[in-house]
This record gives sequence, C-alpha cells and structure tokens, in this order.
Amino acid sequence: MELDDLKQTWNTQTNDNTLNNDTLMQMIQHNSTGPLVGLKKAFSKQYRFIIIVAVFVLLQLTHGFTSINVIMFTFYAALCAGLAYFFYSNYRLVKRMEKMDMEMKTTIQQQISLLETRLQWHLTAVRIALLVFIALIEILPLFQHSRMIDKWHILPAYIRILIYAGLIALQYFASRSISRRKYGNYLAHLKELATQLQ
Amino acid sequence: MLHKEGIIGNFENDIKQHELLIHKVCRMYARLPDDRKDLFQEIVIQLWKAYPGFRGDAKLSTWMYRVSLNTAITHLRRQRTGAGAELLRIDAIHEIPDQEEDARWQEMYKAIEQLNHVEKAVVMLYLEEKPYNEMEEIIGISTGAIRVKMSRIKKKLRLLIKNN
Repeated sequence: MELDDLKQTWNTQTNDNTLNNDTLMQMIQHNSTGPLVGLKKAFSKQYRFIIIVAVFVLLQLTHGFTSINVIMFTFYAALCAGLAYFFYSNYRLVKRMEKMDMEMKTTIQQQISLLETRLQWHLTAVRIALLVFIALIEILPLFQHSRMIDKWHILPAYIRILIYAGLIALQYFASRSISRRKYGNYLAHLKELATQLQ
Repeated sequence: MLHKEGIIGNFENDIKQHELLIHKVCRMYARLPDDRKDLFQEIVIQLWKAYPGFRGDAKLSTWMYRVSLNTAITHLRRQRTGAGAELLRIDAIHEIPDQEEDARWQEMYKAIEQLNHVEKAVVMLYLEEKPYNEMEEIIGISTGAIRVKMSRIKKKLRLLIKNN
C-alpha cells in the first residue's frame, strides 16, 4: 500500500459530532492548557510581587521622608522601576509567544528565540537584584544603623565577601536549575521541532 | 457590542465550515479520545485568540491549518498512553472492502503514527491534496524542500510498513 492510496479515504472523512454554537462558546470561555500557561502564571506571580514592593516603598514614605535615608529610597525606587520594566518585558514576551498564526517554521524559531531571551533576562535580573541587596547591606551602615545589619558587620570583611560570593554562585546554579526544570523540556521539544523542520 | 457579536458570529460560521479540518489534525496528532478532545478545545481557543488578527492575507483554510498545526505540535509534548489508545482513526464514508484490505490500511496508519510531528504535518497536507506552494505557506519551508521531504517520507513509510 502507498500513501497515495489513502488519499481517497482521507478525503471522505466525516465528523464525529458536529459543533453547535453553545458548545463553541463554552470552548472559547475555557482557559488555554497550552505550554505557555506556566509562563503566564509566573508572570502573574511577579505582577503581585511588584505590587507588594511598591506598597512597601509607599509605606516607607508615609512614615516621613526624613526618617528614611535618601540613598535607601533611591535604591528602592531603582529596584521597583527595574522590576516593573522586567515584568512588563515578560508580559510582552508571553504575548508574542502566544502568536500561533504564523508559518510553522517561523513560529517555532520565534518561540525558541523568545524563550531563550527570557531565560537569559531572568538570570541577569535575579543577579542584579542580588547585587543590589549586597550593596545595600554594605552601604547602609554608613548612613543608618540597624541592629541586624550591625551584627552582620561584626563579621570580618573577608568572611562577608566569601558568603556573598557563595550567594552569587548559588543564585547562578539555582536559577539555571529552576529554568531547566520549568522550561527545559519545552525548549528541548521546540529545538527538536526546529531540527525536524530543517 | 454589535461589533463583538459580529466577530463571534463570523467565527462560529468559519469554525463550523472548517470543523473537519480541526478534527483531522486532532486525529493525526492525538491517540486517546481525551487527548483529541483536549487538543480540539485548545485549537479552538487559539483560533479564537488569533481570529481578530486574521486579515485575509492568506486563505482562511491556510490560516486555520497554521494555527491548528502550530497548536498541535507545540501543545502535545506528552502523549498519554494506556487503555483506549488508538491508531490514527479515519471515520470515512468510504467502505473498506475486505479484511485483507483492512489489515493493509492498518499497517499504513501504524506507519504514519511513527512519523515525527513535522512529517505528520507534511503527510496530512499531502493527503489533503494541498498544492506545494500552499504547503510552503503553512509550513514555512521552500517548495523544493517539501518535495524532498515528501519523497523521504514515502520511502520511510514503505520501510516502516515492511518492518512492521
């Protein structure tokens, strides 16, 4: 039997059951269960996080601008602005990845490129946030005293540096591992499809 | 409001007109009835999301193949297995003459099942008798490359049937 022999049968296929308008409307009310749902959920969590951070900054301001150090506030504001931009970029990226009406090859290539960019961005953003956190801990005692940070500064500088280095290394490996666990399989699947399309 | 109702009305008509196309994609890519149902729903959702962006640059059926096939190949990463899994099933008007003939058809379906996602898409468009330039518009690889792929797929199918 050859593939061409199947053509006639293929083209006389019938429907299992015919759609009616109600069924169709119910279908489009459902949420997608596609692979991008995970990314969207992550985006939604990040969105809630930025709101919490922004509320925290606002609360600091309501306690009086004089009690909060200008440098601290600048750090907070920069962090908030950076996070807002990062989350907005994520949102746009997911929107672009949802586009399914392009040629198959273009769709797959775009999804690979966007997902890889997103993972790289995520890695960089978390690293910057960690560096900002370290800088804050080191700079803050110069302007403002807090019991916890003062206790931390009792440790010798070289031990603090070693711990910071450890944290940066841990962040690098943890971020990579989380990304691989969350998106690794999907990315591998997309790359396999790209190879099939060669 | 009226504009939205108009879009919904047009969408309903277009989907109903091309419903069989979506069923065929589901039959090609999903083995279990539940998987087929899920995939059908996911394709309809993706078509609905993309529908406002359809400008008529391509034929409606071409656009629908793109959305359906893109959804199928990216959505179905894990195939459920176990009881109820079926071979490619074709509910056709065409009667299969006898048992021997039926067995030969089953061999062909089994061989198609073993193709990869992209090969299945090419086979499906070939069976749909789509011209090569339209296949190019859907898949995004050149007509020449599709011809080469088609020829390799036919050889692969023959080999798979022989080995099965």
